[in-house]
Amino acid sequence: MVAKKVFLIDDDYIFRTAADILIKVSEITDEIIQYENGLEAYNALVELKDKPEELPELILLDINMPVMNGWEFLEELKQNPTLINGKPHIYILTSSIAPEDLNLSKKYEFIKGYITKPLTKADLKKMHNTLIKECTKV
Amino acid sequence: MQRNRDKTIKPDGQKLSITQLPFPIISLDQNLEVKECSSVLRTLFDFDRVNHQPISLQEIIGKLPKSFLKIRSSKEFNRTSLTENVEVISKKGELKWYKLSLHPDEYRLCYYLYFDDITKEKIALDISLQAEKTARIGSWEVDLINHKVFWSEMTREIHEESKNYVPNLETGISFYKEGKHRDRIVKVVSESIENGTPYDEELILVTAKGNEKWVRAIGKTEMVNGKACRMFGVFQDIDKAKRESIKYQELADRMRVAVASSNIGIWDYNLLEDRLLWDDNMYKLYGISKEDFSSEFSAWENTVHPEDKERALQEVEISVKEGKEFNTQFRIKTQQGTIRHIHGRGKVFRDKDGTPVRMVGANMDVTRIKKTDDRLRQLLNITENQNKSLLNFAHIVSHNLRSNSSNLSMLTGMLLEKTDPESHDKFLEMIKISSERLDETLVELNEIVKIQSDAGKDLQWVKVNPALQNALESINALIEEVDPEITIEFPENLEIYAVKPYLTSIFLNLLTNSIRYRRPGQKLKIKIKAKVLSTQTVISFEDNGKGIDLDKHKDKLFGMYKTFHGNKDAKGVGLFISKNQMDAMKAIIEVKSKVNEGTTFNLCFSNND
Repeated sequence: MVAKKVFLIDDDYIFRTAADILIKVSEITDEIIQYENGLEAYNALVELKDKPEELPELILLDINMPVMNGWEFLEELKQNPTLINGKPHIYILTSSIAPEDLNLSKKYEFIKGYITKPLTKADLKKMHNTLIKECTKV
Repeated sequence: MQRNRDKTIKPDGQKLSITQLPFPIISLDQNLEVKECSSVLRTLFDFDRVNHQPISLQEIIGKLPKSFLKIRSSKEFNRTSLTENVEVISKKGELKWYKLSLHPDEYRLCYYLYFDDITKEKIALDISLQAEKTARIGSWEVDLINHKVFWSEMTREIHEESKNYVPNLETGISFYKEGKHRDRIVKVVSESIENGTPYDEELILVTAKGNEKWVRAIGKTEMVNGKACRMFGVFQDIDKAKRESIKYQELADRMRVAVASSNIGIWDYNLLEDRLLWDDNMYKLYGISKEDFSSEFSAWENTVHPEDKERALQEVEISVKEGKEFNTQFRIKTQQGTIRHIHGRGKVFRDKDGTPVRMVGANMDVTRIKKTDDRLRQLLNITENQNKSLLNFAHIVSHNLRSNSSNLSMLTGMLLEKTDPESHDKFLEMIKISSERLDETLVELNEIVKIQSDAGKDLQWVKVNPALQNALESINALIEEVDPEITIEFPENLEIYAVKPYLTSIFLNLLTNSIRYRRPGQKLKIKIKAKVLSTQTVISFEDNGKGIDLDKHKDKLFGMYKTFHGNKDAKGVGLFISKNQMDAMKAIIEVKSKVNEGTTFNLCFSNND
């Protein structure tokens, strides 16, 4: 296991359930916390404000969600960078194949990657490797 | 003292010396040598010397004229008088002209030469000749008794004839262009000879060189005892001016025709006198008769559409004050009550102090252009909306279809790779749900495509009340459960131009939205009203529910798969479908809302089918 904690933010419970299993078999982490929209995840981060050690190492973020979508969530992080403290690797996970979404994601430099669904083992393997590199660096 | 004192015998026998005569005169001998000269002449030619030396004729007038030289060389005494005009440069350097009159005195065998200063006359003549030349005026004269015709040099020049051309009355007339020009001159000349009436005509000549030329021919006849004896007159070459005037006239005519047929009216406003002048087209444009128009600025002002008046007046004022070109559009109301769109342009003219004195401009009826323009704009709007729908469509395909299909591919992949055999059944269950959702999405998409492709079809006058009752009945159970207070305020038989199933579907959607997004712990109130205006009928659904933050969501409200309340039942497709159905009926849906106060949806239907 390379991460203690992973945030999985997606409104589609089928995707969440499937992704949960895939992440676990990829040996990234055992603790996956699921959120249905950006606001839930944002509130969770606010609660961890004084405990940076409890921040997740990885955040997988869907774009199209009710209440607070992925972009709005990223905008909040941009305004309050101390919430993540540069720690979690953030990946966008979307079913959108629109190029404008990909371009928009480049606006946020703290994003590690942009993945178009379906999520595959290969994707998770790459994330795994990047996380290891980060750990050995420290 | 005077050596050559010759004596002149006066008729009364008294002898009088030439020297004492009070005018410039000299006596000459047979060889034209000066015998005596008057002292006036000496003064005139500056020979006023004390010793009175004899002087020669050459000394006085310079080179002698040919006739004088002939007399000098002849042995015979010349018995006839003659006159010569000579040019003399005075000792002071002035150029002078003299008329010399030579009179023989047979008794004494001598000549008397009289000097007449004609400088002034000569200059006046020269000036008049010059004027003739400049104005291109030639003169002519016909002696009707001796049938002699005289043409001045300019007259010849106008006819492009040589200097020695000898004209007569007939040939004079034959210069006029054949046809109406010659017929006319023959007529006026004959009349003039017969009755003595003068004439003044503008006609075309064909010159000796074959060029056509406009001339002004003026003639007059002198009558003696009721008989014409002499005709005289002038010719003026007016070719250049006439041709320019014809050209101008043609242009002006063309302009008039163009203006008359183009719906352009010309106006001229005198700011100092508050006097507004209109051409005939303006009256036509404004549908006012001349008698009903008071020619004041306010008369125009009264025709301008009330909604455009303030702006139009302001633009006139700016133009007068700041000199900006007046260039604007406004509507007018004709006396018959029709509304026209006018494009007005104008320019302000100022006096040398910069005070605006006059404003001149044109008005054009652009109603048709305006209507075409509006139609184009409308089409553009439709196209833009369709484009938006297409984008939305792409979005749906991207999101809803792909999210389900990618779930399927992910789940089947995990099944095949036996990723987690224990969850086998769970995977199958999720595959079933995903494929069902995919199917549902396809059904919705199909519904939307159908609405858009059926747009404008099946539009008819639909009774509102039965449609609303239908919608209410279909959610009977829900209404019983929530028990909202529903008030309906519109005439029982209200009709609108719509598609019946769409209307029911929209009503249903708005009602379920109100119920779904009611405020917890608050009795839900729904008010359904209708307002019949002149051009449209507005049906409104007002509730006291949660409301929508329009500042945040207005743009996305009617988009597909947009939800705003965090409600898990919300699929974000209802308002999108309603909006599409409204579009298909060429109707408009509007929303007003305040968070925690409620939401009102207005459905605006046109009253014209």
